[in-house]
Amino acid sequence: MFSSLWIAKTGLDAQQTEMDVISNNLANASTTGFKSSRANFQDLMYQNEGQPGGQTTEQTQTPSGMLLGTGVKVVGTEKLFTQGAITQTGNSLDVAVQGNGFLQVTMPDGTIAYTRDGSLQEDSTGQLVTSDGYPVTPAITLPTNVNSVTIGTDGTVSVTSNGSTKPTTIGTIQLANFVNPAGLESMGQNLYLETESSGTAQTGQPGVNGMGTLSQGSLESSNTNVVEEMVNMIQAQRTYEMNSKSISAVDDMLSFVIQHT
Amino acid sequence: MDRSVYIAMTGATQTMRAQDAVSHNLANASTVGFKAELSAFQSVPVLGPGANTRINAVAQGVGADETQGSIQHTGRSLDVAVNGPGWVAVQAADGTEAYTRAGNLQLDADGNLTDSRGNPVMGTSGPIDIPQSSKISVGTDGTISSVPMGQGPDTIAAVGQIKLVNPDPTQMSEGSDGLMHMNDGSTADTDSTVTITSGALEASNVNPSSELVKMISLSRQYEMQVRSIKTSEDDADDSSKLLQAS
Repeated sequence: MFSSLWIAKTGLDAQQTEMDVISNNLANASTTGFKSSRANFQDLMYQNEGQPGGQTTEQTQTPSGMLLGTGVKVVGTEKLFTQGAITQTGNSLDVAVQGNGFLQVTMPDGTIAYTRDGSLQEDSTGQLVTSDGYPVTPAITLPTNVNSVTIGTDGTVSVTSNGSTKPTTIGTIQLANFVNPAGLESMGQNLYLETESSGTAQTGQPGVNGMGTLSQGSLESSNTNVVEEMVNMIQAQRTYEMNSKSISAVDDMLSFVIQHT
Repeated sequence: MDRSVYIAMTGATQTMRAQDAVSHNLANASTVGFKAELSAFQSVPVLGPGANTRINAVAQGVGADETQGSIQHTGRSLDVAVNGPGWVAVQAADGTEAYTRAGNLQLDADGNLTDSRGNPVMGTSGPIDIPQSSKISVGTDGTISSVPMGQGPDTIAAVGQIKLVNPDPTQMSEGSDGLMHMNDGSTADTDSTVTITSGALEASNVNPSSELVKMISLSRQYEMQVRSIKTSEDDADDSSKLLQAS
């Protein structure tokens, strides 16, 4: 009956979602390897109450139709995989991916998850794990009595043991890439899962076949652009206010009818 | 029964309908590539026996406001904004070609270029398929070039060209799917004068202040129609009192 109320409500919903996305981006402005999201809006279906170009007589056509829009919706949130700034940490087990690609980790249920968070650590058995304890795939185990660890730009991990001067290669970190990284499912903990829309993971050595390179002793910061998010936040807030104004205008119209008839 | 009540009622209903269009525009104040819906009142004489004194107002959509929305830079290579007049061709759900200005393009898992609704983007020779690339760039004429995965940055391959069209606006109208379609069901020709900017999006061209003013003016108009209904009622009351007195 009163479509305006519902149309304005879709506007409020969409701006609320936009605020949720912005808040999440800002909340993760200092999360290592975090990729910011963007909400994509789309106008909803139009109610066709008169086809444009319909024949009014055999010779004449209506110049325009009667199409009533029914509001707006958030059609999706899209991760923006632009490079975050690389910050030096000096920790030899921190790696940042420069360019395309994700580090692979094995989840407890055996599935592979993907991450850009390269703050790696050593667990009790010497295996390289993420800060949540998920082992890096392919598995790399550091021997005991390690003096220093070197991770090359191509992913080669070599160690020198105490009492030895000759480094030994113990494994290679591989990266995975996707046709459509925006289609990955974010599962939190800085991890992503492969989906139908991301395509299957293509693995390879860093620096080869378009994969990014690794940079030891540094981490990739969040790619949240704080200033941009602030501007988006102001815009979302104002659009929200305008839509709530629509609701109150229609409400006033209705209350006027009730009071004056 | 006095017909003015009926005329005032249709007036109020149509004002509410025009208010729907205003709400829809405000709801889409941040939708990429959205064009504000224009509506106008048209007078339609009430046909039938009797003097031709009754005119209904009918809120009529008069198409979309085609002015350019502001260009916002995003830096994402698959975001394209059309400069000036023109449209990006996509394949609508029914298989026909339709046109949009929402340039937040995406890639699906098979590497097909789609718009944000998932409709395939039309190239000058059919839908565009982009191989797995380490870098994609879009030229001002819609040419898409990619550095294929596993190749050096010097091996740039042109993988397609987005079909850009600019038919006479009177030949197109908006469909219920929010895309523009040719009125006669034909396919628009590629227009080489249309250019796009990559790494930017065209914002909605809704002017919030003018929409808010329109909203206030429609609200007042509505109140006047209701007042007119009330006056008709009072008149009817008065005449029935006269009848009682005689």
